[in-house]
Amino acid sequence: MANGATVAAPLARPLLSRRARELMTGYLYLVPVVVVLAGTILFPILKAAHMSLYNHVLIKPQEYRYVGLANYARLLHDGVFWLSLWNSVLWVFGSVSLQFLGGFAAALVLHQSFRGRAVIRTITLLPWIIPGIVVALIWEFIYQPNYGLLNDLLGRMGLMTERVAWLSSPALAMPAVIATNVWRGVPFFAIMLLAGLQAIPTDLYEAARVDGASVVQRFRHITIPMLRPIIVVATATRIVWTFNYADLIFVMTGGGPANATQITSTYTLLQAYSNLDFGYAATLSVALLLIMLAFTMFYLRITRGLESVS
Amino acid sequence: MRRAPGRDLAERVLGGPVMWAGLGALTLFAVAPFIWVLLASFKTRAELYATPIVYLPASLSVTNYVEAWTSKLTPFSRFFANSLWVSSVTMVATTAISILAGFALARFRFAGRQTFLLIFLATQMFPAVLLIAPLLSQWYALGLIDTYQALIYSNFSFTVPFTVWMLVGYFESIPVELEESAMLDGCNRFGALCRVVLPLAAPGVAATAIFAFVASWSELLFAITFTSQTEMRTLSAGLLYMVGQYEIQWGQLSAGVIISTVPVAILFTYLQRHLIQGLSAGAVKG
Repeated sequence: MANGATVAAPLARPLLSRRARELMTGYLYLVPVVVVLAGTILFPILKAAHMSLYNHVLIKPQEYRYVGLANYARLLHDGVFWLSLWNSVLWVFGSVSLQFLGGFAAALVLHQSFRGRAVIRTITLLPWIIPGIVVALIWEFIYQPNYGLLNDLLGRMGLMTERVAWLSSPALAMPAVIATNVWRGVPFFAIMLLAGLQAIPTDLYEAARVDGASVVQRFRHITIPMLRPIIVVATATRIVWTFNYADLIFVMTGGGPANATQITSTYTLLQAYSNLDFGYAATLSVALLLIMLAFTMFYLRITRGLESVS
Repeated sequence: MRRAPGRDLAERVLGGPVMWAGLGALTLFAVAPFIWVLLASFKTRAELYATPIVYLPASLSVTNYVEAWTSKLTPFSRFFANSLWVSSVTMVATTAISILAGFALARFRFAGRQTFLLIFLATQMFPAVLLIAPLLSQWYALGLIDTYQALIYSNFSFTVPFTVWMLVGYFESIPVELEESAMLDGCNRFGALCRVVLPLAAPGVAATAIFAFVASWSELLFAITFTSQTEMRTLSAGLLYMVGQYEIQWGQLSAGVIISTVPVAILFTYLQRHLIQGLSAGAVKG
């Protein structure tokens, strides 16, 4: 019988080496994730690049045609786009710097030991985990001109004589949405920095104390340098998220009044969602993507630098 | 611990009154807006729109909750069921996909591994609005508008990269020797993953699963763009739809806000510790 020989052969010399089979299984495990990300991220991004070359307004199908770079030319001459970029800078800088300061203060407080610390920690994290629309609605309710809490409190304290329409005043709308975003983002910095604080060895503080360093000196020469990596990473992540984050402004003001709170991400959203101008929305998306890629590269360079220092 | 002799005045002030004041301010800052909306959800119409404003409702009436839950125009019971279904399916599928991917990236040293990891990190930096127009036209072409599939698939775009990134870290923290001994005993890789690695990584896997659930539960932009019928709206989309109605019903709306918040708040108390570990582990790796 020839069967005996054919059975023995694979055992002596497998078709694929063990290492090759390992690799094959490795790639096999990645098939679902590759399919999912190709379908929901990669393909849509390529599609956006493609769409940006067309005049594509959903409600005007008869005007659908290839326009080359016309959408990009429109972008460069679009005053609202440039305004939205400037507003994005204000929005990101205002939100992230105040979130950082508030979060740092919160982390220092939560780092102390006191009774009920676990409960207080969970409670203070709440603003960060609830849905964005819930945050937006809570604050819209507080900012209401006629029956809102804020106007009432300011009136009672004698700080205000006339009711203010926070979200429909061009000068106040941006500070009002930033304040809301600060409320939402403080817990993020608080937990990140708290994790950083807990990782600092207490011996360092003890040694410094023995050497006669004051609280302020210990803070400046131990806490800040030890937290530096986590500060850089947390701030960079937060800058990206805030730049991308459209929900709050979209719900609270829709970018108004008169584009006073229009940031680039809400502008993109409105072009797709309200104007159904897919060609231009895709163009704005590509612009957003390029800005994000540039920032990500900058960010990776900074974090690499940090690793080599430590 | 800090009561060692040599505490100077600044230290005593900072550790005592300043800390307690800070703690009070922090708690008030985080909680006061919630309490205000919680109170509003129990107020009657007259109390909500009274001048000067009424702080405390006269009675704890649940009328707003009942009306929001049973309303024909904005049926929160339906929105709740939609959110529950979309978030649960997203959670299960995301977890299955990321366990496989996370395990492969943690264990197999194949070409392109670093590139993969970098892609997962980079996709977390993409704005959701970038995907709105292309995904809408994609789901439209596939006839998936007003279906749960469109929402679930779209949610993968932000749940999967993060959960894979977190799970790679968890799996790497489990000693590879355990698997190897299981494989010597006759398990194949997949068997070792199911019988040895997963039980050990269970808390981490549970945390990533809950993260996927909470993130999908909060999702707004996809939910409003890819659905048009009332009965397909999720809670977030339903809340926005309610604002778009002729006049904002703050009573029902506050009840809706509380209904949307409670499940994530409960899940988060469990998730908190693991998520923080994952976040800071991911952050340190950069």
